[in-house]
Amino acid sequence: MAPLARFAAVAGARFGPGLAIWGLGLLLALSLPGTVWKAAQPPPFPWAALPPTLAAVALLGLAAPALVWLGGPGLARRRSLALLEAPPDLLWAAYLLALWPAVWGPPTLPAWLLAFLLAALPGEVHWLSQALPGEDPFPLAWGPRAQRRVRWLALRRLWPRWLAARLPLWLTATLVLERILGVPGLGSDWLARVSRRDRVGLAVWVMALALLWFISRAWDREHA
Amino acid sequence: MSWRLVFLAALLLPELGLAPFQGGLAPTWSHPLGTDDLGRDALLRLLLAAARSLGFASACALLSLGLGLGLGLAWWGRRLESALSALRGLPPLLFLLPLAATTGGFTLPVTGLLLGGLAAPHLAPALRVRLDTFRQSPAWAAERCLGAPWPSRLRRWGPYAWTQAAALFPSAWLSALWGEATLSALGLGPPPGRDSLGRLLAEELPRLGSDPSPLGWAALAMVLLLAWISAMGKGEA
Repeated sequence: MAPLARFAAVAGARFGPGLAIWGLGLLLALSLPGTVWKAAQPPPFPWAALPPTLAAVALLGLAAPALVWLGGPGLARRRSLALLEAPPDLLWAAYLLALWPAVWGPPTLPAWLLAFLLAALPGEVHWLSQALPGEDPFPLAWGPRAQRRVRWLALRRLWPRWLAARLPLWLTATLVLERILGVPGLGSDWLARVSRRDRVGLAVWVMALALLWFISRAWDREHA
Repeated sequence: MSWRLVFLAALLLPELGLAPFQGGLAPTWSHPLGTDDLGRDALLRLLLAAARSLGFASACALLSLGLGLGLGLAWWGRRLESALSALRGLPPLLFLLPLAATTGGFTLPVTGLLLGGLAAPHLAPALRVRLDTFRQSPAWAAERCLGAPWPSRLRRWGPYAWTQAAALFPSAWLSALWGEATLSALGLGPPPGRDSLGRLLAEELPRLGSDPSPLGWAALAMVLLLAWISAMGKGEA
């Protein structure tokens, strides 16, 4: 019984206050005041937006680690990367919108995908390269092969934690991009549920975000 | 940090006067970017909006650093670690949307308080790393062992802690700047009548592709310039 009680105490201290915050978020979603002036069904979940979103996340999830694997931790100190990372997603979308040739029709999913990658990729490469361990003097002294191997091992450990920690932020980025480019998607779904007072739908979103937090925290073995 | 604080004064500047009969003028020598629909000089409006956005970002950054410092100190016992991690996991925008719907929009001070408060948990870990060096120093241990009173400890270590916090000011400033711009572009920022870069972008973005105005492009260029100045200021190699 003692190990079980100890485990419960450790888990309570590790997750308890955080779960309380998520509980408050859930309460806010479920008690969202106000009613819509005309009764309306909750918006349908944008299933059509799911495959492109998953494709974008998969592309980002592969491209960022691949670039970091090639560039190493030195990328975190590159000024060019900092310059690419600096403009917010709002600005990338605005430039795409302004430069989109009229003959191509309204900017749809390809523009959204491009804006998403432009906004997210430099920041994620910076995040991952900062998290990589230093390479001087070792494995630098062991040669490029050992260097790549060490990077691969470090990235393999970082990858799930990175994905779980960053997914909520990408969701916010998609909300901004979708609103500016006029593309319906997962981010706008949150906004639509707020405007239609779909409390249950919002609560499901909060629980999904809480689950991501829980996963990323469970993976995070270090006491930061 | 100091040049950014100068812009706090811009928060007190009055709005430009309206001249509806001179609206929509093309760029001339007297109005280099032309005038907007309400007859305001577009260049003046852009400069005023930029200065006000920068001042607003400075105020938010000061607030979030103060709060972050408090959280960083409180975090020493690690009792708040899990709660702060959860606060960092909830994207601010997704939290602000229901809140804006509940309250029917935010005023400028409320937006500042919310942005500053929501940025503080993100600053706390970096602050804690910086403060750990003096927490583990022999001088701090000696003060604790000798039972120095809190006011005396604060007088000695407070300025050091603030210097460490000030090093994070540029990143806090930048996140406040983008936070306000994003909220305004989504229509959730401060109410009309208070020009800011985000409000200018929100006004100009819808017609940027079809009817591009010099003001829209100038606002975009201004935001890009600010982003790059901040990135250069990070001291990258």
